[in-house]
Amino acid sequence: MVFSHPWVLWLLPLACLPLLLQRAHAKHYSWVDMLPIDPLSNLISLILKILAVLTLIFIIIGLAAPHTTEQKVERIGIGAQIALVLDRSASMDDPFSGSLDSSGNMTVGETKSVAAARLITAFVKSRQQDMFGMITFSNSAMYVLPLSENKKAIVAAVQATAGNALFQTNIGSGLTSSAGLFDKIPDSGSRAVILLSDGAGRIDANTQQKIKDWFERLNISLYWIVLRQPGGLSIFDTSYVPVEDQPLPAQIELHEFFQKFKTPFKAYEAEDPKSLQLAMNDINNREKKPIKYFEKIPGQDYSNLCFMIAAFMIALLLGVKRIEVTTWH
Amino acid sequence: MIDNIKSFDYHVSWRSRGRHPGRHASTQRGMGMEFRGHTTLLSYPDPRRIDIRQTIRDPLEQVYVRLFNQKSATPVYVICDLSGSMNFGAKKRKIKLAAEISESIAQSASEHHDPFGFIGFDEKVREDWISTTSFKSHHAITMAEALKDFHPAQVNCNGITEVYRYLPRERSLVFLISDFHMPNTLLEEALSNLLRHHIVPIVLWDSAEYKNLPEFGLVNVDDAETGEKRTLFLRKELREKIVQSFESRRNEIYELFMRFDMPPFYVEGEFDADALTEYFHQFVAA
Repeated sequence: MVFSHPWVLWLLPLACLPLLLQRAHAKHYSWVDMLPIDPLSNLISLILKILAVLTLIFIIIGLAAPHTTEQKVERIGIGAQIALVLDRSASMDDPFSGSLDSSGNMTVGETKSVAAARLITAFVKSRQQDMFGMITFSNSAMYVLPLSENKKAIVAAVQATAGNALFQTNIGSGLTSSAGLFDKIPDSGSRAVILLSDGAGRIDANTQQKIKDWFERLNISLYWIVLRQPGGLSIFDTSYVPVEDQPLPAQIELHEFFQKFKTPFKAYEAEDPKSLQLAMNDINNREKKPIKYFEKIPGQDYSNLCFMIAAFMIALLLGVKRIEVTTWH
Repeated sequence: MIDNIKSFDYHVSWRSRGRHPGRHASTQRGMGMEFRGHTTLLSYPDPRRIDIRQTIRDPLEQVYVRLFNQKSATPVYVICDLSGSMNFGAKKRKIKLAAEISESIAQSASEHHDPFGFIGFDEKVREDWISTTSFKSHHAITMAEALKDFHPAQVNCNGITEVYRYLPRERSLVFLISDFHMPNTLLEEALSNLLRHHIVPIVLWDSAEYKNLPEFGLVNVDDAETGEKRTLFLRKELREKIVQSFESRRNEIYELFMRFDMPPFYVEGEFDADALTEYFHQFVAA
C-alpha cells in the first residue's frame, strides 16, 4: 500500500478533533449527576465519536490516494505461437517412396504435400490453445495467415496446400516472412516456426544474417522437417565427405547454418508418412512445456473506496442528526 | 409598597430579640400587650404601668409596676443561589423565579415591618449581590429586579458554606432559595452553620428537568456548573429512570432538611405566595 500524496497523512491528527471538540449545540442541564447512568446512551455517544473520527480518517486517507503498487504475477500457460512454413515447390507433389502394406506389396505412397497437409491438420487440431500462422513458399514467400487463434482458418489453409505445387524452393524468403508474423504479436513465451520442406535451397549471406537476427531477437525456435528422397543425402550423415572444390550440398549447408542459431533448433528427416508423423509428434511434445510468464497487474486505487466509506458514515451521522432532540428548552 | 408584587403572611415561633418594634413576639420589655411580671417602680420607673392591686397587697408597701413584652421586628433574609444550575428553566429561568420570590419576601417583610436583607452566593458569597438589612424594601426589590436578567456563569455553589458569616448574630428568618443541586455533604455543612436561624428552604425545580423531557431522541447535555458532557438517548425507559432519580432525590433532601427541622417548600414552575402563607400555618407554631 502506497500513497500518491503521502503528505496529506500529516493531517491525520485532525481526525482527533471530534474527541477534543464538543459538539456546539449541547443543551445546558442543571445537574448532570442527577441523570442516571445509561449504558446505551454512553455506547451511542462512543459510537458517534468513533464514527466521526473514522469519517475524518477515511477522508484524509482518501485524499492521500492509497493504491497498491503494480504486481507481477507468475502465470503458467500452455499456449504456443506456431508459424507453419510449408514448401510448395513442385517437388512436394512427388509421392513418398512406397511402403510395404499388410500383404507385403509395395504401394505407391501419397504425395508429400498431401501427407504433410494431413498430418499438420491433425497437429493443428490437437493443439487447441495455440495460435497458428502460415506462410508457404516456392519461388518466393506467400503470406497465407497471420498468427491467429482461428482453427478453422488454419485448417482450411493447410488443406489448401495439398493441391498442385509450383516452381522452386526459396527457403530464405519463407523464413523471413515467418519471422515477420511474430513481429507485432506479444510474446507468449513459446514461439516456434515449423519449416517443412523437401530438399533445401541456398540462402545468400545477407538473408542468412537477417534470418538469424530476427529469430534470435524474436526468440523463435525452429523445427525443420526435411522430406528426404529415399536414398538421398541425409543431413545427419556424419560420414559424408564433401566433394573438394565444390560447395557443400544445400541441405547440409542450411543445417549447419541453423545449428548456429542461439534459439532452440531441431531438425527431423522424414522419408515416409510414418516418420513425418513421428517428427510431428516430437514437435507436439516439445511445444507442450508449460510457459512461465509474468503478468503485470496494475495497482488498485483505494481512494474511492475510502470516500465511499466516509460518505456512508456521514450518512449514518446525518441519520443520527435526524433523531436529535430539537424541541427541548 | 409595590402593588403588583404578591405578598404572603408569615410568623415565627420563637421570640425575637430585636429592640425595634415590630409584629413578632419578643423578649424585649416595652409597650406590648404580653404580660411578663411585676417589678418595683424603682427598678422600672414607669408610673403609667403602676399596678395598684399588687401595690396594695404588698405588706412592705412598695409600689409595683407591670412589665410587658413588646412586639419586635425580626430580620428577614433571602439567601439566593446564583450558581450555574439556576440558569436552567424551560419557561422561566430559575434565577428569575428566585428573583420574583425574593421580591415577594421583601414586600412581605416590609408589610410586617421587618428589616429585609439579601445575600447571593455562587462559588463564594457574591459581595455585589448583597443588600444589607433595611426596613425599606426598595433597594432589595431593585436588586431582585436586576437579578431577573442575570445569567449565572458556569460556577458551582460552594459559597453556601460561607453564607452564615454574613448573617447577624440574632436569630433571623432566612429563606434559602436554591435548587439544591449540590452534594449532600456540602448542604449538611452549610445547614449546620445556619442552625442559629430559622431556615425556610425553598426548593426550585423545573419540570423540564425531569418530567417534561422530550419523548424520544438523542441529545447532548452539559452540566451548567461542572461542564461535564453527556449524551443521552432519550426514550421511555430512560425518562422513567430520570423521573425516578429525581423523586428519590426529592425524598433525600426532604429527609436531610427534616433532620435539621427545616421543612422544605417546593416551587416548580410558578411561585404561589398563598402556598407560602399556608406553609407557615402548617409548619410554624403561632
